[in-house]
Amino acid sequence: MVSRRGFLKSGGLALFGIGLGGIPGFLADAVAGTVTPSLFKKKKIMVCIFQRGAMDGLMAVTPFTDKFLKAARPSLFMTAAKGAANDKPLIDLDGRFGLHPAMAAFEPMFREKRLGIVHGIGSPNNTRSHFDAQDFMESGTPFKKGTTSGWLNRAVGLLGHEAASPFQGVSLTSSLPRSFYGENPAVAIKNLADFNIQLRGNVAGAKMASKSFEDLYDQTSSDLLKNTGKESFDAIKMLQKTDVKNYKPENNVVYPATALGNSLKQIAQLIKMDVGLEVAFAESGGWDTHFNQGKDTGVFARNVNDLSNCMMAFWNDLSRYQDDVTVMTMTEFGRTVAQNGTGGTDHGRASCNFILGNAVNGGLVHGVVNPLSKDNLEDGRDLAVTTDFRSVFSEVADVHLGIENDKVLFPDFDGKKIGVMRG
Amino acid sequence: MKGNIRNFYVTAILFCFAILLSSFVRVAGVADKLAMPYKKAGLTTEQAAAHLLSRFTYGAQPGQVEEVTKMGLEKWLKKQLEAKADDEQLNQMLSKYDAIGFSNSQVEDDFPQGPRVRRWAVRDGYLHKDSLSNGNSKYQREILQTYMKDKGYRPLQELYRQFFNQKILRAAYSENQFKEIMTDFWFNHFNVALNKTQCASFVPAYERDVIRPNVFGSFENLLLATAKSPAMLMYLDNSSSSGVNVPMEDQEMMGMNDMGMSAQQKAKKNERVKKIKQQIQNKKKQGGLNENYAREVMELHTLGVDGGYTQNDVTQAARVLTGWTVAPLGKEGYGAANRNIIERLGANALRDKGFVLDGDFFFNANRHDNGEKVVLGKKFPAGGGYEEGEALLKMLAQHQSTAKFISKKIAVRFVNDTPPSSLIDKMAKTFTSSKGDISSVIITMVNSPEFWSEQALREKTKSPFELAMSAVRSLKAEIDQPFQLYSWINRMGQQMYYYQAPTGFPDNGQYWINTGSLLNRMNFGLALASQRIPGVKLNLAALNSNREPESVEAALVTYSKLIMPERDLGKTVARLKPMLNDPNLQQKVAKAADQNSAKKDANNKGMEMQSMNEVPLKEEKLKFGNGKKANENPTIKMQAGSNTMLAQVVGVIIGSPEFQRK
Repeated sequence: MVSRRGFLKSGGLALFGIGLGGIPGFLADAVAGTVTPSLFKKKKIMVCIFQRGAMDGLMAVTPFTDKFLKAARPSLFMTAAKGAANDKPLIDLDGRFGLHPAMAAFEPMFREKRLGIVHGIGSPNNTRSHFDAQDFMESGTPFKKGTTSGWLNRAVGLLGHEAASPFQGVSLTSSLPRSFYGENPAVAIKNLADFNIQLRGNVAGAKMASKSFEDLYDQTSSDLLKNTGKESFDAIKMLQKTDVKNYKPENNVVYPATALGNSLKQIAQLIKMDVGLEVAFAESGGWDTHFNQGKDTGVFARNVNDLSNCMMAFWNDLSRYQDDVTVMTMTEFGRTVAQNGTGGTDHGRASCNFILGNAVNGGLVHGVVNPLSKDNLEDGRDLAVTTDFRSVFSEVADVHLGIENDKVLFPDFDGKKIGVMRG
Repeated sequence: MKGNIRNFYVTAILFCFAILLSSFVRVAGVADKLAMPYKKAGLTTEQAAAHLLSRFTYGAQPGQVEEVTKMGLEKWLKKQLEAKADDEQLNQMLSKYDAIGFSNSQVEDDFPQGPRVRRWAVRDGYLHKDSLSNGNSKYQREILQTYMKDKGYRPLQELYRQFFNQKILRAAYSENQFKEIMTDFWFNHFNVALNKTQCASFVPAYERDVIRPNVFGSFENLLLATAKSPAMLMYLDNSSSSGVNVPMEDQEMMGMNDMGMSAQQKAKKNERVKKIKQQIQNKKKQGGLNENYAREVMELHTLGVDGGYTQNDVTQAARVLTGWTVAPLGKEGYGAANRNIIERLGANALRDKGFVLDGDFFFNANRHDNGEKVVLGKKFPAGGGYEEGEALLKMLAQHQSTAKFISKKIAVRFVNDTPPSSLIDKMAKTFTSSKGDISSVIITMVNSPEFWSEQALREKTKSPFELAMSAVRSLKAEIDQPFQLYSWINRMGQQMYYYQAPTGFPDNGQYWINTGSLLNRMNFGLALASQRIPGVKLNLAALNSNREPESVEAALVTYSKLIMPERDLGKTVARLKPMLNDPNLQQKVAKAADQNSAKKDANNKGMEMQSMNEVPLKEEKLKFGNGKKANENPTIKMQAGSNTMLAQVVGVIIGSPEFQRK
């Protein structure tokens, strides 16, 4: 197995060393913060948000002219027509699709063609189990359980250069998600402030221990422990350059005080710290709306409101980096066309996703959503999957991160793209 | 009559004698076969004992190397393979966890899953279906809590918690350490995960009844037990896989030779065959075949990914295993549809029609594809029923590729991350000749020079679970709240029982050691030694028979040896010495300790100096060169609970690179 832990390893040094000379000192300075480490600059960053629980794509982005949908959802259907009693109307995107009113924050981005939507996206495997569908989507192999790696881990491996830091692939979760399983380095960090040697209530003791550990790991005979130890202490120093706890977002942005808001805020911090982040992952929960999912208000409205507000806070906070960042959402499947007996929707097939970035072919609802008459539905009940999720994921990764080998990124995939990215 | 009785006695005595003899022969055989070439590898008996303990326990306890040396290495390993040591103390600790012995049915009855509880609460009139959620989840939660209380249901999290706790207590305290190690190994090999809710309730019984009793026996039995377990049947979806069942007479009709038939008979037959084919076609359209288990049983459980099977073999094997599903469990638990079949038919008819009800396993003949299949070139004739599934698994268990694949996996676990093929070949040969006897494969491994070579000693990286357990064992910690350790293990990168993929956790150092997880290993060492992990108590002084080390340096040497017996610790000690000799060290530590225990110490500072547990250090050895106030607090506090230099030293040892290896 070839290790890609290149940071400060001879291979990595050689790579950065071309034409620079005196590398160890240069790196040491960079790490010590005396010189701004410009070697990480101009990396593209792909941020993925997994909406766990299966978002109702038909409520997020509603084909509001569809009479079948209206009939199938007597108490959930919304229209774009203004003045309907009590309800806020949908935001009419193109005369056929309407954005949920709680996602108003997205509208300007869509109009500016920076936000693209893919509808009818999903997996070729028709499982309606959360676990299996998430597993397949994250491994990127919809018919193979035993795939050891996740697609984001493979993406990291395909970036074409050694990791510039331990923060090349970061998940803002407490443990590594399936998407990041694999042999390329990836870190799960729930809270940046915790990334340190700590001893509760004993700062001095922790500092001393930290020094001891650094020495011990520097001298150990195991390369793995030695190199990772060095990475770790260098990473601590990188993070210490900024006051992680008292972060002030730019442009007067206020992140929603939610799990997703907190995750995206920390991703923004890592991007601004310039620590070499290229692939980031965050999660959003609560999408499994079997019971009273609501319409313009209620649980679904709160969820999409949080999603859109968090993403826009992130985007505006990163105004200086917008060319470098693309954000993509994903969810394991969609929900039934018809509402169920408890004012919610059950597990279905296709959903929709959102892609935000300057290189996105935005202002469009991509994909195919046929009229929702029964014979057009998958198994007579669900929005049919017309776009393979791998098509969209690989296009975003290919264009934004410059990945070329789709056969490694998504084995057994035919590689067809639908044009969600420009260029 | 009398003669009969006498005969009976004679037979009985002979029978008992035969059993005794056979068990004697078996054990003697194992002991005979054990011949571990550690001396040839240049190891002392103590070093070899330390290596054995590092591989087949969750870490040596202080003094254990000497114990094993005294007992004899072969004898110790033999006892571990028998796994019959008395675990009274452990069982005492486990007795407060009432649910860890629950059957799957009891779990279904007492710990129903959330969605089901909600449905029942509506059914029983506690909740109106329109009032569900509606933005007031707190209200709903309260009602559900009341409902569960009234009905005596308990939250599933409580079962999980007990389950995690038992795992940690067993690893820390069981006398049958190797059995626990192998339980962990095989669980990971046949991984199931709590994140899949469909199988989650059955995971505790899976580990207890399916894995643990079979860890040293025949691989075939283990494979079969997992294949028939509710946890595996649900985790890899075989429980929902179904095929087309064509009645035998129809199958015969389709294969019938036309010769000798009249034109009329022929026409009739063709008409019938056409109809059957149409029926099969219709049923196929309804779907039902699920290949997940069939694929993984070959790729991950037996042959290995390069084991020489094709996609067609997967599909055919999936067809063989159709109808293998879960028996009805509990009063209102899983498998209501099967309950109807079982109750309607009754035991005799059930058996006559080819159904099999075996504990929690149910073979539903109606869902079985009874056509002919060919897997790996072996033909399974039509109408094979349940037995063909067993035959398939036996074939897989004894396959050459399996012998290699399993041997390699065992060697990776116990030798190093890239074991030599010479060793794997030997083990595979034993696997084949012993028909997959796991103990025999292990014995071949330890009898091989490769097991004792330089490339094996201390070459494995501890998983976070192993790190935590070895730390606890080497410090003789008292665990009152095992879950605290579970959380730390999670933080260090191993969320036990939640590895989503059927591959199980990878078994290599590269996987365990990364930036974030390594820092948490160091933090774990510090937290444990300074008693910052609630419910995990230490007595560092008692470890050294309450003898105080003469200096900080002496403490470092003494405790390094206690915690990591039979290792070359020169480097570790050499590296840490300057830190300990830091002229300002004493002040720093004293200050830190004061900050910590300022309140506690405020009243008895004067007393402390004379405390029984504290002995003044010999100053000349300390080289505290700052000359001022060197004796301000010249002690190593040895009390349990105190945050002192000793705790700091021990914390650094636990977090040191050397302790991450085994």
